[in-house]
Amino acid sequence: MSARVIAFGTALLPPLLLVGAWQIASSTGLFPPQILVSPADVAGTIAELVRNGELGSHLGDSLFRLFWGFGIGALAGLAFGTALALSRLFEALFQPLFQAARQVPILAFIPMLVLLLGIEEGFKITVVAVAAFFPVALATFDGVRGIPKGWLEVARVYRTPFPSLLVRILIPATVPPVLTGLRLGLTRAWLVLVAAELLAADNGIGQMMEMGRQLFRIDVVLAGVIVSGLIGFALDRGVKLFERRYTRWRVA
Amino acid sequence: MNRPLPRIALGLIVPALILVWWTVQSNAGGARALAFVPLGTIAATFADLATGGLLLGDALTTLSRAVTGLLLGGIAGIALGVAMATLRPVDRLVGPIYHAVRQVPLLGWLPLIGLWLGNGESAKLLIIGLAAFYPTVLGTYEGIAHVERRYLDVGRVYGFGAVQRFRHLLLPAALPLILTGITQAIAFAWIATIGVEILLGAGGGLGATMGIAQAQQRMDIILVAIAVTALLGFAINHLFARLRGHLLRWQGNPA
Repeated sequence: MSARVIAFGTALLPPLLLVGAWQIASSTGLFPPQILVSPADVAGTIAELVRNGELGSHLGDSLFRLFWGFGIGALAGLAFGTALALSRLFEALFQPLFQAARQVPILAFIPMLVLLLGIEEGFKITVVAVAAFFPVALATFDGVRGIPKGWLEVARVYRTPFPSLLVRILIPATVPPVLTGLRLGLTRAWLVLVAAELLAADNGIGQMMEMGRQLFRIDVVLAGVIVSGLIGFALDRGVKLFERRYTRWRVA
Repeated sequence: MNRPLPRIALGLIVPALILVWWTVQSNAGGARALAFVPLGTIAATFADLATGGLLLGDALTTLSRAVTGLLLGGIAGIALGVAMATLRPVDRLVGPIYHAVRQVPLLGWLPLIGLWLGNGESAKLLIIGLAAFYPTVLGTYEGIAHVERRYLDVGRVYGFGAVQRFRHLLLPAALPLILTGITQAIAFAWIATIGVEILLGAGGGLGATMGIAQAQQRMDIILVAIAVTALLGFAINHLFARLRGHLLRWQGNPA
């Protein structure tokens, strides 16, 4: 336990040193305040944004979009990837289109979706869903394809109905790759959401940073960088904890 | 259904249905027709942009930007990865900062970098370089840190110096993971290039053209640019996968 505390402490030290150097650099006037504000000022700005509820409101909007966009995209990806892996007909019908669409860098969809859907909530949720869809669908496809043929044959011999096939074979056998796909999808979704908010939104954490830039409020921009980094960290760590918990039986 | 010809025919059904649906939407008129440009117009726009040289110019701008960013970020990434894997103090000092900074969504840096560097070429290259930097650091670090002990023991028996050890042991053993990192760096740098071009607008390139076309509501231009982006991305990934296979041919059966 104490070893872990020490490891945690040594990991925390370099970032603290960096913040210290930053504080010194900005308080000695090495950089003008339009270029660099001190970490104390940024902390003050974050506290102020929390107090007046601005940060909470932007964050709430962003997380709302992330939740629905990721939820829809991930579910669609799970269903699509499973169908693609199990049905030869479905694969013949959709695989070429899927492989072609997958080549498009995800951010290139933004201008097209803006023209199709406008810049309201629908657009942002759709672009997040598209971002989450591809990695999840791909990981699910690979996961289900990776199930040993024999298992599925046994299920066919026993005429296992689809629900128990799902619960007994498909889900347990594909948990590790699918969780990796979900983690990747969540990271992608967060990246794309911040980009979409920078480009076209009147609220959300990305828009908070963009407004900060336009008003030359570098403290607000830095507050946004820190908050979006913390969210990214929490999302990644959350899925990793989940992964460790549900794939423990593999190692044991 | 396993015979190639009917399989290809099946694969064309869904795209054909989408085209039919698209045409119906564009003929329906009204506000929606603006987004659903007739297929003929898209083809004409493609021919226009292709023969006028605009498309080629944009593609070359975007490609050279992506490659420059990739080289800057990739070389820095490999250097830091090697330093972190071989020098413990560097790992202790830089590792935690690297992992903290990596959590910020890439384009979240854009407003800050915009304030510092404006929206010119250096801001774009910084973001693209960063996109390439993260995965190469990780791949190089993992590759070198996990070189099997016994290889190093052999090197010690042969009395290898530091340079020989790096050249003949560490580098070849770490190469597969370094190349995996570079593969991810290429994909990520390509996305970042398109992203910064769309978001910063100025300076040309496929992304900038898409952004301008969005402001002018020119869906035809956007679709042509998307198609070219996808093709280029596919070609780059494919070429690198072949290069990787060539470099790792000694592995025998690549996983």
